[in-house]
Amino acid sequence: MRYKMFMGFVVLFLGCWTNYAQSQTASISGYITDSETGETLIGANIALIEINKGASSNTLGFYSIVNIQPGTYTLVCSYVGYDSFRKEVTLNPGDALRIEVELNPQGLLLDEVVVTSELEEEARKDIGSAQISTQLIKDLPTVFEADVFRSLQLLPGVKAASDFSSGLYIRGGGPDQTLILLDRTTVYNPSHFFGFFSTFNPDAIKDVQLFKGGYPAEFGGRLGSVLSIYNKDGNRNTTEGSVTVGMLASRASIEGPYKYGSYNFAIRRSTLEPLLAALRQNNDNIPSSFYFLDLNGKINFDAGQNDKFNLSFYSGNDVVNFPFADDADFNLNYGNQTLSSNWTHIFNERLFSNFVVTGARYFNFPELEFGGTPFERENNIWDFSVKGDLEYLPNDKHTVETGTWLGVMTLKLEDRFDNQDSFSSRIHARYGSWYLQDTWRPSERWKFVGGARLNYFSDGDYLRLEPRVSAEFKPTDRIRLQAAYGRYNQFLTLITNEAFSGFDVWLTSDEGVPPAYSDQFVIGTKTKPFTGYGFDVELYYRTMNDLFELDPFLPDAAGLPYDQIFRFGTGDAYGAEFFFEKQTGRFTGFIGYTLAYTWRKFLLYNNSIGDPDGGGRSFPPKYDRLNDINVVGSYRLSKKWKATVSFNYATGQAYTEPLGRYQLQDPVWTGEDFDVLTTGRINASRLPDYHRLDIAFSRYATFFGMGSAEWQFQIVNVYSRRNVWFYLFDFEDNPITRNEVNLLPILPTVSYTVNF
Amino acid sequence: MRILNLFVLFLAATIAGCDLYPQDDYEEFVVVEAYLVTDRALPLIFVSTTAPVTEEYSFENTGIPTADVRIHLMTGDENSAIEQTFTYEIGMDNVNQRINGVFAAVDAHDVLPMRTYQIDIRIDGREQITGFTTTPNRFQSTGVVPDNVVYQSEEQIEVGIPRSTGDRQNFFIFTTISLEPSEEQLTPIYADFFDPDEDELDEFIKTSSGIVNEGNFELNPDGTITLVYPWIAVAFYGENQIVTNIIDDNLFDFVRSESVQLGGSTLSPGEIPNLIYRLDNAIGVFGSIAADTIQTNVLRPEGF
Repeated sequence: MRYKMFMGFVVLFLGCWTNYAQSQTASISGYITDSETGETLIGANIALIEINKGASSNTLGFYSIVNIQPGTYTLVCSYVGYDSFRKEVTLNPGDALRIEVELNPQGLLLDEVVVTSELEEEARKDIGSAQISTQLIKDLPTVFEADVFRSLQLLPGVKAASDFSSGLYIRGGGPDQTLILLDRTTVYNPSHFFGFFSTFNPDAIKDVQLFKGGYPAEFGGRLGSVLSIYNKDGNRNTTEGSVTVGMLASRASIEGPYKYGSYNFAIRRSTLEPLLAALRQNNDNIPSSFYFLDLNGKINFDAGQNDKFNLSFYSGNDVVNFPFADDADFNLNYGNQTLSSNWTHIFNERLFSNFVVTGARYFNFPELEFGGTPFERENNIWDFSVKGDLEYLPNDKHTVETGTWLGVMTLKLEDRFDNQDSFSSRIHARYGSWYLQDTWRPSERWKFVGGARLNYFSDGDYLRLEPRVSAEFKPTDRIRLQAAYGRYNQFLTLITNEAFSGFDVWLTSDEGVPPAYSDQFVIGTKTKPFTGYGFDVELYYRTMNDLFELDPFLPDAAGLPYDQIFRFGTGDAYGAEFFFEKQTGRFTGFIGYTLAYTWRKFLLYNNSIGDPDGGGRSFPPKYDRLNDINVVGSYRLSKKWKATVSFNYATGQAYTEPLGRYQLQDPVWTGEDFDVLTTGRINASRLPDYHRLDIAFSRYATFFGMGSAEWQFQIVNVYSRRNVWFYLFDFEDNPITRNEVNLLPILPTVSYTVNF
Repeated sequence: MRILNLFVLFLAATIAGCDLYPQDDYEEFVVVEAYLVTDRALPLIFVSTTAPVTEEYSFENTGIPTADVRIHLMTGDENSAIEQTFTYEIGMDNVNQRINGVFAAVDAHDVLPMRTYQIDIRIDGREQITGFTTTPNRFQSTGVVPDNVVYQSEEQIEVGIPRSTGDRQNFFIFTTISLEPSEEQLTPIYADFFDPDEDELDEFIKTSSGIVNEGNFELNPDGTITLVYPWIAVAFYGENQIVTNIIDDNLFDFVRSESVQLGGSTLSPGEIPNLIYRLDNAIGVFGSIAADTIQTNVLRPEGF
């Protein structure tokens, strides 16, 4: 009865878009999948050629084309890396055809020309969005281990803080301004080895979708961007797996069908132990234990044609034990766990739904035993939520989406110093949001998306409304002009250091600490100058208001009111991104260029010495880079060999050049030398420009007839450019000397993968 | 077409040539250093200038040779009238030679607790330098300090300290001073850090904590807080003095900003802020402290 009432409400609510003529029309819907694995394909395009009416598959691989006049048409479906699908369909009045589309992966033919429809990649080319394929992630030369985040850092608008950091700095925002979702579940610290790698195992991942800015009302909670990653469903046809042995980490995965669906499990573990053991022969200060471990899994249960369930999990952690001196020991255990249970229900060809229950945990437990004095921290975040999303197609001009996200989060931080409690904080907050969005296509050339998101956060009792709009105009089939505006709120802030992310702590807004908010304006164009090529330009401007972050001068938070541990500020960022890509053929690749500025301003920070109470001057954060060019190319040399090259050039990062110095003569409380620098504007100088060339060669072979195999040989920083991370100033010398701290030198690596 | 060309030129100039955020040039500042300690005599005052970072630095060369230096005791807060003025003269070394930049009080005066003092320095050709500090209240550690404690034993040194009065919590810096320093007396961790070829033993004689908030400690029923002294503060076996310093706002700002100037906080590596200064027309610090000292003998445990 309740179900009928609910459906009645939904139909009543959404029915205003539905017109009477629908009963005389027909519809087609279904899933789009990989024919070999049964994996659903996200963002694949499907259309009826004769009337140029189409859709793209959603994040669950489902598509629906409604309000089709009866007749006979050619249904065409395409997706990057797959052969096009064509099928003739005849529709009678009132038909609601269910057509499951299976796309065949492209073979490895050298002279293959892939036919792409003009609608191809439409969803993937929405304003502010970017995509990177899991194959490219695996092919790219990276430091020891294929890495999702380091691959994303090659895209325009996405920057890296350093060779040692996999953190995402997108369109002027720091890592905490990007919402990271794994199967719709928030991941709070997606890093291994203190930020060197991201946590996502490329063997377990199906899809990586990045919204760099102007993201739609479906998402919220972060000022800047959204990274949505989906685990693989698992092969629905055959059991298969792979084993990769690498220099830093090795990984294995298995996937396959079972009676009611499919499964996919993957494991990855670092394998540094032999290296550490060798280093310990001649060095004292080597960790006695240092590893990370990832487990990914997903089980799908296909309850029927219209109901699919899945259970997805991730667990990963880093363990370090480092006796760094006599009577001194450092231990760290940190990681993430996520669990999500998803139910997809298709009410009919017009109403599609998805419900998910999520649980996420982030923890870090550092322990330092120093001269008989222990320091211990227990830092935990638990986040449990339920989400429900409905997608309704009242007619062929509108797609209405609505959804809600309700959750509770607990952030618990406890410090013990010398066996006594020294700091304790427990934040228990409830959050909720609701969004409504309509995509309106008044004609083939125009698309408007309008929506709003309402957010609530219990600590401080904040209710915030976020309007989001975007428009797209296609003057020709090869050109799309786009614009978007959105407001975004963020109730969380991250305490971290860009050089070291193992101790990350999240804090929330509260009374006296209002949430940060941002307005984003984006305009752009997506073009296809030639078949198989793309050229995109986006210009963006975004504000950042009410930024709150831990006061960097705070020596000790104990006993202070919550609002006094923060500094408050503003910021803005603006830039232009250019992206030229070759999508098909033996040679594929892209060139991305970003021209960008980003600024921050905090009260009383970066004042001139002569004006200490000034309001604070704007300054660029360290990661600001005016010019950033990435060139990525992949060339299939033969059936057995493939080469991939990536090159990055970027303006040197910002740093503060010391100008003067002095020395205290009698600091009565300490026996240390007390040397002090005087500086001018913060970060007004630039490090030398950064550039680096990486290459990788892949050789495909068979593994004793039991499966395929791949050798991968990589050289990172081919010409061993000693890029500068930052400068250290040595007061032992007089005058002070400046020493470079360099980034990675040349690094050759090799890995071997067997697929069975 | 001309407009388009101009626009392109402007854009190119913006991208390539125009620096939106130029680097400052070096500027010389007067540096003042003075710490009033409650119940102790007026301190020496050091007055010097900064030096360019590219040049060799010495205090002797940067010390200000002549200046009119005074400290005023105020009747109330910073806006009140001057109650008493203490004049300073140029300091002399052991052989009665003037020391540039060092000034000594002419009049005898023990610093009063919970009073506001003003520093007043006039240097020819420069603007008048002023600053205020309000001294912390005097205090005495409570509890029985054992004559001997065994290093890293369960019996740790405990110091009772009265809690703050008023809204502002106390900020502490704890200092350990070894009275019997020798290489053989170094505790294990400091012995491991000490490199005779590179380090001076003097660097370990006086060790200090960072700033520690009173809020870290639970309040005892008698209105005191109890500090359990961590073993990490002990660099040498033998007789050690443990000094508890309560610092004023000026010193709090100065020390906390100095401690992160070259990293160690949430600031990015290479982001070097200036310190927080509370002086007009000068940098440095005019701060105040209330301190109390206890002494104990740290015994080497068996097997160490």
